[in-house]
Amino acid sequence: MSTDDAIHESIETAAQTVGARWPLHSFVTANPLSGFEDQPFHEAVAAAADTLGSDGYPDADVFRRAWEDGRIDPDVLRDTLREHGYESEPEATLDRMATAERAEATETATATDRVDAVLTKWLSAFLDQGQAKWPMPEREDGFYDAFRAVARHDGEIPDAEAIAELPDCPLDAIREQLVNDPVGEWPEIFEFHLAALPGWTGLLKQRADDGDAWQSAYPITLAGYLAVRLTLVDLFDAPRTPEAADGDDATADGAVPLPEVWLTAWEATYRSALVAELTDASESVAATDEGDRPDAQLVFCIDTRSEIIRRHVEAAGDYETHGYAGFFGVPMRYEGHDAAVAVDACPPILAPQHRIADRPTDGEGSRHAEHDRWTATREAAESVIGRLRSNAATAFSYVESTGAGYGAALAARTLVPGRVHDLVDAVDDRTPDDHAVWEPAVDHDPDHAHELPAGLTVAEKTEYAATAFELMGWEQFARLVVFTGHASQTANNPFDASLDCGACSGNPGGPSARVLAALCNDEAVRERLRDRGIDVPEDTYFLAGEHNTTTDEIELYADGVPETHAEDVRQLRADLENARAGAAAERADDMGADGDAGRETHRRAADWAETRPEWGLAGNAGFVVGPRELTDGLDLDARAFLHSYDWTTDDEGDALEGILTGPMVVTQWINAQYYFSTVDNAVFGSGSKVTHNPVGNVGVYQGNGGDLLTGLPLQSLMAADDEPYHQPLRLSTVVHAPVGRVTDVLADNPSVTELLDNDWLHLTVVDPEQEHRAFHYTEDLEWTPVDEQAPTVPEQTATTTPSTADD
Amino acid sequence: MTDHCDRVCHAGSDRSETDQTMTGQTQATTVGQLPTPDGEDSRVAATLTRLVWVLCVASIGVLALRLRGGGPWELDGLVAVDGLTAVMWVTVTFVSGIVHSYSRRYMAGNRTIDRFFGRVFAFTLIVMVLVAADALALFVAAWLAMGLVMADLIGHVDGWPQARAAAALSRRYFLASTAALAVALGTLWWHTGATTVSGVASALGEASGTVVLFAATALVLAAMIQSALVPFHTWLVSSMTAPTPASALMHAGFVNAGGVLLVRFAPVVTVDSAFMLAVAVVGATSALSGKLLKTVRTDVKGKLGCSTVGQMGFMIMQAGLGFFGAAVTHLILHGFYKGYQFLSSGSQVAHESPKSTTATGSAGPLGAVVIAATALAGGVLFAALTGKGTKLDSGLVLTLLVVLTVLHAARDLVTRSALPASVRYGAVPLVALPAIGIYAAVYGTIDGLLGGLPGVGATAELTVAHGLIAAAFVATYLAIERGAYKHSQRLYVVLLNATQPPSETQLTATEEYNEY
Repeated sequence: MSTDDAIHESIETAAQTVGARWPLHSFVTANPLSGFEDQPFHEAVAAAADTLGSDGYPDADVFRRAWEDGRIDPDVLRDTLREHGYESEPEATLDRMATAERAEATETATATDRVDAVLTKWLSAFLDQGQAKWPMPEREDGFYDAFRAVARHDGEIPDAEAIAELPDCPLDAIREQLVNDPVGEWPEIFEFHLAALPGWTGLLKQRADDGDAWQSAYPITLAGYLAVRLTLVDLFDAPRTPEAADGDDATADGAVPLPEVWLTAWEATYRSALVAELTDASESVAATDEGDRPDAQLVFCIDTRSEIIRRHVEAAGDYETHGYAGFFGVPMRYEGHDAAVAVDACPPILAPQHRIADRPTDGEGSRHAEHDRWTATREAAESVIGRLRSNAATAFSYVESTGAGYGAALAARTLVPGRVHDLVDAVDDRTPDDHAVWEPAVDHDPDHAHELPAGLTVAEKTEYAATAFELMGWEQFARLVVFTGHASQTANNPFDASLDCGACSGNPGGPSARVLAALCNDEAVRERLRDRGIDVPEDTYFLAGEHNTTTDEIELYADGVPETHAEDVRQLRADLENARAGAAAERADDMGADGDAGRETHRRAADWAETRPEWGLAGNAGFVVGPRELTDGLDLDARAFLHSYDWTTDDEGDALEGILTGPMVVTQWINAQYYFSTVDNAVFGSGSKVTHNPVGNVGVYQGNGGDLLTGLPLQSLMAADDEPYHQPLRLSTVVHAPVGRVTDVLADNPSVTELLDNDWLHLTVVDPEQEHRAFHYTEDLEWTPVDEQAPTVPEQTATTTPSTADD
Repeated sequence: MTDHCDRVCHAGSDRSETDQTMTGQTQATTVGQLPTPDGEDSRVAATLTRLVWVLCVASIGVLALRLRGGGPWELDGLVAVDGLTAVMWVTVTFVSGIVHSYSRRYMAGNRTIDRFFGRVFAFTLIVMVLVAADALALFVAAWLAMGLVMADLIGHVDGWPQARAAAALSRRYFLASTAALAVALGTLWWHTGATTVSGVASALGEASGTVVLFAATALVLAAMIQSALVPFHTWLVSSMTAPTPASALMHAGFVNAGGVLLVRFAPVVTVDSAFMLAVAVVGATSALSGKLLKTVRTDVKGKLGCSTVGQMGFMIMQAGLGFFGAAVTHLILHGFYKGYQFLSSGSQVAHESPKSTTATGSAGPLGAVVIAATALAGGVLFAALTGKGTKLDSGLVLTLLVVLTVLHAARDLVTRSALPASVRYGAVPLVALPAIGIYAAVYGTIDGLLGGLPGVGATAELTVAHGLIAAAFVATYLAIERGAYKHSQRLYVVLLNATQPPSETQLTATEEYNEY
């Protein structure tokens, strides 16, 4: 039937407005405006403002603070203002922006509010993932049918009996509601209604696309949702069509808005300082030869937090560090031994290709059983407590019998949070380590294929290993190579997944590191690698580890290390402890904390009252693709993603293509997530943690209920309510490669080029073949040489000798 | 221009110094140094936190003196510090101290942190006055002030329309409860001429039964609103706009005032045994329905709110059964429990699988014996240590619940074949019996402290109605175990709607959310 297709098509188009939102337990960083990426940035934020009521640029206050702090170069700003036809002085344009912001006013339609309230009630009941003991009846029939069956009893809906009369097919229900509207206006109507509760609709859109276990058990579709919403709109007599545009088409003339100009100038100021350092470093890189074989090589995630620990690891001994995407290139669905569900440990732009489950390690029979008993006991205790609390007849006596214990726990966790961390550590020491007893089963197992093949074949293993070394441009291997994933450690934090590895879709990166290490230790794989020209020496051993980004401790999974490498590992452990001390001091300083940094970071990891356990990726603004030698003399203050790349080993540009289409797109999403959460914390973020109320294991409410919030909380972005920490800048990528090679990659990848052309991120190339000069990408594969006259940090350093004399 | 450069370079040089001192790293050029937060602490917060802990220590001193037979201390016709006062002072200053210390880190960076601490501290002082008040007028005034400050805490985020609506809603409830209280105390004063709580107790004999019954009804009404009993629970489930520590204080302190009220005016409430029975039924209804309401909620704080409705119902039921000591013990221990649950509400997000995994085996004959013996031992221990249920009175109902709880825990563990035998058979006796012992010790202490209060200590005779209450609990236990109630869609919708906060207190358009 043709109108069916028309409806589906209209819904698809309309759904572009709503950014997909992942459940909170697997926080996936995504650009909330990803549906608008085919438009220039300033038009996209204007369009979002119309449908979502959002702000797309920093407030005048934020610009003013950056301006007064000297973060925006006055010359660059004046030039940019002039370029876009604004002649006025910076201060005057700031005032103009501030006045424009004050003009906003909000009006509310009460009928729509009531529709929203009833809908959030039913959506939260249906989309619940295990919080309610009594879930919504008839959920297995899907949202539309369950609503038809149950909501007819809802006295809050006027004329609720009409719900029983709804047609069997949601599309028929939609048709009935839109019978008086021309088909051409349907996409607009759908968009209006999908944008009404963007938190919930974003979640259901993601869930319908992803088809996870919850979706298979309790299906929900956009069409079913719209049928319900339009029915309610009718019953409550709320407006069905959006109000006519109020003629506010100031942006339609193609003029670049003032905040865009300020933002561009701010970004240019940060970028020029970074690029100036990299061009200098590029010359010295070219002049030096490959050094001696280091004691160990450590590969970290490209995550901005790695930048700090890498500096300190390098300073602690003869170590080389590298940057690689934290899922270590293996797109797997990982089934941890203790986990209730398998998780996709790869970036959201990739679909998992393999299912890898934990298996018991060899020769650990008795410890394995002990570990199982411990786990079973713990689970039983949790379950008994849960059931005692939930049964009406036992909850009261339970509370009386345990109340005194809770009183003691209140005092301990509040008054001596640091000791709580020690206690957790002590318990950990006494119980068998998970990673000693379990390991990912990487070998291909044809008998256990689920929806995905189990494990990896030798050919696949070789491919992933080779890709890693080719992308990073490796030519030599130390005796010890450590793949270091990362994870955070926080207490009482619904947003803990947002601090875990973004390249692993908000999961800890340790398992991915273990998988790659296991592949590289495989003799069959090494043999095939040799055929591909990657010669791993006999005495090289690959090890996995996990970087705790809250305390900066690095745990090495060294249980299977051969005797020959035991001493190397011992030395590395000692040096990592020194590196931790240095990195923790720097991290504590960034949090504005005084005193013993080690204790302070431990306290933050365990303290239930801490809303800012660590800064996560706040501050991120740059992405450097090139060898570590370019950046190893720099302190980038955890603001840059670092991906290792060596243009001299990548003649075809394949590795570069892989980086620009993979990691660069993921970092741009992360960057956009931080940007939009900062510029409009209410619409794109999730507000203050202080009034958060987690709901259904999928997101948080602010206060009593309403729309779902899944973006970053205020405390992840701001040092205090009136003191920004994250600087909302679009990503500045700097690539160390010949310009021509980058142009070729862009020409082959129109989707990446479109992002650049639409100003969603910046790209600059430092060309080692053109006297290490820098070129900035403008548009349509055109480049402009970076102005050598632009003020840069070294020049500033030179002109203000008194203040730097104490360096 | 040079001014601007100076600032940039200062920021850079600071960092380079730290690097050198911390790791001996050679100087690294800093690019794009972020601002360092000043980490400044609120002076008001620090001072008030210290003060509240001083109050807590002082209260413990008063309690210790009282336990050694000191007091009661009176300030002629205005305040009287007796056993109830001392124990509530310790409780409220402890909980408030926890909330203060917690909030110093939790609320750090909040623009209105001083106002927040001011309100929490003021609330603490007001409650201290309330539990010490002897003058009826002072009691009512403290009651009113307590409600107003709590409403302000619910609306602490004042730029947020939904928080303001929630505050206004709760303020209306608290004014109503103050009005009910004023009517009750006004009536008592009018008919007895007494102006103090103690005076009312001794002069009660002169007033007519109907008048006292009227006053008692108004008192219970005030207590029901304050403790958010069904059907007055809406203010509580709409109060989640309060910052988390304020919610902890509300659920561990504020709602308890309903119980304190009944204990303070026990002579009035206990005047008629049929009325006491009605109180017990009101409490039991709320206890059971609160728990049912909780089953349909999907948000963590909403679940906790419904749970409090149930727990407060249970507390009022204990008072209705004549166990005022047990009611006070319950409100204190529940306060610790619920305070903890709120302060840790952020840890409740888990990645669950849609399949339920409750595959339990059967207990077997040995298991059945262990289960029965453990449950019986629990009941006997409870009865022996607390004296509840040793006589043929309403205490049997409370003992029955303990038996059910231990039975439930034992059965749950025994049927888990994956566990080692020692855990299956030994864990519940080993954990539950000492826990009952601790409870009994707390109960014994509190019951002793309340011993001298007028009207407290007379337990109710066992009646058919008590049997019905007990039967209702057992029936609910079985219904929940079997999930029988889940067949009614109508019941589901009724419960769901009963737990909904009014739409004006819900943030349906997030762009309206504004911290300030």
